[in-house]
Amino acid sequence: MTPLTFHKCMQSAVLCCSLLMPLLGQAASERSGIIKNLEGEVTVVRGGKSLPAASGGGLFEGDRIVTGPKGAAAVTLKDGTVLSVGPNSSMDLTHYIFEPTSQNGSLLVNLVQGTVRMVTGIMGRTNPELIKLTTPTSVVGVRGTDFIVEATP
Amino acid sequence: MKTAFLWPRLLSVCIGVLVVAGCSTPPPPPPPVPKVSVVLLPQTDASGNPIRTAVSVTSGQQALQLDQPFALAESDPKGQLAQRISSAAEVQARYGEVLKIQPPSPEIVVLRFLPGKSQLTPESEQQLPELIQRARARAGGEILVVGHTDRVGSRDANDALSLQRAQAIVNLLKARGFSEDLLSAIGRGEREPAVPTDDEVAEPRNRRAEVIIR
Repeated sequence: MTPLTFHKCMQSAVLCCSLLMPLLGQAASERSGIIKNLEGEVTVVRGGKSLPAASGGGLFEGDRIVTGPKGAAAVTLKDGTVLSVGPNSSMDLTHYIFEPTSQNGSLLVNLVQGTVRMVTGIMGRTNPELIKLTTPTSVVGVRGTDFIVEATP
Repeated sequence: MKTAFLWPRLLSVCIGVLVVAGCSTPPPPPPPVPKVSVVLLPQTDASGNPIRTAVSVTSGQQALQLDQPFALAESDPKGQLAQRISSAAEVQARYGEVLKIQPPSPEIVVLRFLPGKSQLTPESEQQLPELIQRARARAGGEILVVGHTDRVGSRDANDALSLQRAQAIVNLLKARGFSEDLLSAIGRGEREPAVPTDDEVAEPRNRRAEVIIR
């Protein structure tokens, strides 16, 4: 599958999931994770607006994390997945669903540029096939894992 | 691929201009192919034993599997992926900032309830101030309370009961001043017994809450 068709596929999956979300009783505005450690200049782009990142602040589906030349940020998602974003990076939390009682969910992270480390959480055991990280040229799939991806424009 | 075809034509246009007026600017370099590097880091379980993990990297028609510690897949200027084994030292040198920002591992504490109630034992309740202190010591430190039941009663009833127990603890933490935004109550029902039993067996050790500080 090419990254393009994969993207399309994930997009329809995201659409289906967002249509189903009210049925699952999950509010669309619910936070996906919490911002932890921060270093240097870090902003969160939400709904077209750039906001300064703060430790303890929420991260939501659709948010983009942007770091400056000396910036770095760590986020823990609800299932315990940890995303650490390095300097000069731009990363989208494209899609995130996690249902804590059944522990099922899915995750799509898009690294536009820069570096991210992903340490998978509960979903790395329950739904590893539904965790994907994309870069402009590639797709990374996981199995209960700790790894770093770097995308250079 | 399109650019590869365009490139020689651009070049000849520039040479043509060179004859007449001199090529004031060199021809633009071909647009670089975006690069990707993926490195798999070793992982250990709670007792420090290595866990087998893997990632797959797909780029165009090419697919690689990384399943050794420090296995590194990297694309060349043409976008072709190649795999080699990197090292802890190389990863530290290249990705030190990313490694440094990683939050500390979560801490897990088990709290117990009085038999048949959603009320904590006095020993467990006494631990709450310390749990709050430990969460506050972390950047963006949050507390998750995961309730568990034994197997007496239906699955649905136990889902509700476990959530109710978790919520009871969350309310106590809130009452002690911990921010609601950093608290979560989760009910796991009878899915994760500490001690496996047959259905409908009363087992006090399974009636518990796990507090995750992260």
